[in-house]
Amino acid sequence: MARSRGGHRARAGLRARIEPPRMSILVVDDLVKTYPGTRKAPPVEAVRGVSFAVEKGEFFGLLGPNGAGKSTTLGCISTLVRPTSGRILVDGSDVTRDTREAKRGIAVVPQTRNLDRDLTVREVLTWHGRYFGLAAAEREARADRLLQELQVADKAQAKPANLSGGQQQRVMIARALMHDPKVVLLDEPTTGLDPQARRLLWETLRSLHERGTTFILTTHYMEEADRLCERLAIVDHGRILTLDTPAALKRSLPAGQVLDMWVRAAQPIAPRLRRVPGVMKVEEVQDGGDGGDALERLRLFVDSGDGLLDRVLHAVRDGGADLHHVSLSQPSLEDVYIHFTGRELRD
Amino acid sequence: MTAFLALLRRDLLVTTRHAGPLLLSTLTQPILVILVFGNIMPRLGLVAAGFGAVMAPGLMAITMLMAGVQGVLIPLVQDLSGTREVDERLLAPISVRGVAMERIVAGAIHSLAAGLVALPAMILLMHGVGHTDVRPAWSLLLPLSVACGLISSAFGLTLGTRVQPRFSGLLFAVVLGPMMLFGCAYYPFAALSRIGAFQYAFLVNPLTFISEAMRIAVTPGAEHMPYALLIVGLAAWLFVFGFAGARSFERRTIL
Repeated sequence: MARSRGGHRARAGLRARIEPPRMSILVVDDLVKTYPGTRKAPPVEAVRGVSFAVEKGEFFGLLGPNGAGKSTTLGCISTLVRPTSGRILVDGSDVTRDTREAKRGIAVVPQTRNLDRDLTVREVLTWHGRYFGLAAAEREARADRLLQELQVADKAQAKPANLSGGQQQRVMIARALMHDPKVVLLDEPTTGLDPQARRLLWETLRSLHERGTTFILTTHYMEEADRLCERLAIVDHGRILTLDTPAALKRSLPAGQVLDMWVRAAQPIAPRLRRVPGVMKVEEVQDGGDGGDALERLRLFVDSGDGLLDRVLHAVRDGGADLHHVSLSQPSLEDVYIHFTGRELRD
Repeated sequence: MTAFLALLRRDLLVTTRHAGPLLLSTLTQPILVILVFGNIMPRLGLVAAGFGAVMAPGLMAITMLMAGVQGVLIPLVQDLSGTREVDERLLAPISVRGVAMERIVAGAIHSLAAGLVALPAMILLMHGVGHTDVRPAWSLLLPLSVACGLISSAFGLTLGTRVQPRFSGLLFAVVLGPMMLFGCAYYPFAALSRIGAFQYAFLVNPLTFISEAMRIAVTPGAEHMPYALLIVGLAAWLFVFGFAGARSFERRTIL
């Protein structure tokens, strides 16, 4: 008996040597969140079984329309939303059971700008450090360094209300980094920023990531997801539809190029187009048209070769449809999104 | 504990920075009331000379209640209805109940400070008017004030988390106003024995206990509620509001 236990141990030891246990910094396992209904509203299944893991130093993204369940997922990770079921581990600490320890490993840059209005920018950072038990010398030094890094040092003595949206966002990132978290959660960080501020923030995030910070980002901006994220989960209706690197997601599309066409047709011409050689897939995109006299949008995944456009145009004409305009492009994340969901991002 | 103390220190710092307007908003009313009812009217012979001594502890109780409630309620309503500054606290390494308790303690300190500033101001205003003699029992005053401050701020937490922000204006008219009139602030509980069993209806008002506690501490010679009833009442209201406030705080903040 004793020998068999020893043998079992030896096998387990061998396995451990062959496959060193790789501990993800964040594990989300079959997360479900249903907001209870009220007298006036039915229950809302915001997240319906989401699982993913994020490695140390990774920039991970959740891309999806408003109401897809991204923020609820982030809320559950941050402990501010109580999961209905499932498990979340932050560096091994369970967020529902070992909440306080898990909180030490998490930082949140929320959607709402919630800087402490009664303090100066510098105090916002140093008090945050106090909440996490940082010694005085350490929190002062860190606050100074982060104010510099996030380019808000000149605003150190200002009140948050006197800062622009982009500056407030950068102060919130500095605040998040004060306690040296394992994972930083960014909930739609650039929503409401002008393009210039958005680009500056992207630069900042990228340089922080290069120095080793682990980020999880939610966004509904394709460009943002494409520029920042190393891996991306496309989320809709509370589920992950697909998860991979942006490049692999684009490669997963059925063909090399995307041909968008806007047509006015008396009868559906998609079946006719599907028969055209070189056309791999035809999707009818619902982009909010009322279905009456509106243009129909078709997205063709094509392997463009000699005469392809000509063949497509013939097929359209033979189908008795009017072609309004076309555009040929390399597949983008938006194409990936439309491919997986069959529609454009809702707003 | 580190996070709790850090949050408390932050709140005290911010409160002291805004001390001027805060004191003005909590002290103006009781001081003017005591000036009219404890100084001017007794001099005119319109109220009994001793009325000031009956009112002073009651006004102190009202001051503490209002300071405690406002100290918690106003920031909380702002937070829950939009600014969400509370989220930073909830993300600190402290339990949600811990965050609620910190709010209660900070509110109680606010309440205590208001009460302890109101008292000497009132004594000064009534000095030498009629036969008014206010000699507080200092050894009782501090512990009873602490208990009253905690009840006031726990009550503020309960109101702030259970009442829809758009109704918070109504609170003062519908809840706090009647509480002040029927909270034994302007008359001692013992004197209510003349209205029979109806006297006991006043016990559902937490202000009754706060007023009587202050009466015992500020004018120890005056007639007051039995000690046993007072202590049970204070403990019961503290427990009810502490529990209800922390519970609804958790419900409102963690979805």
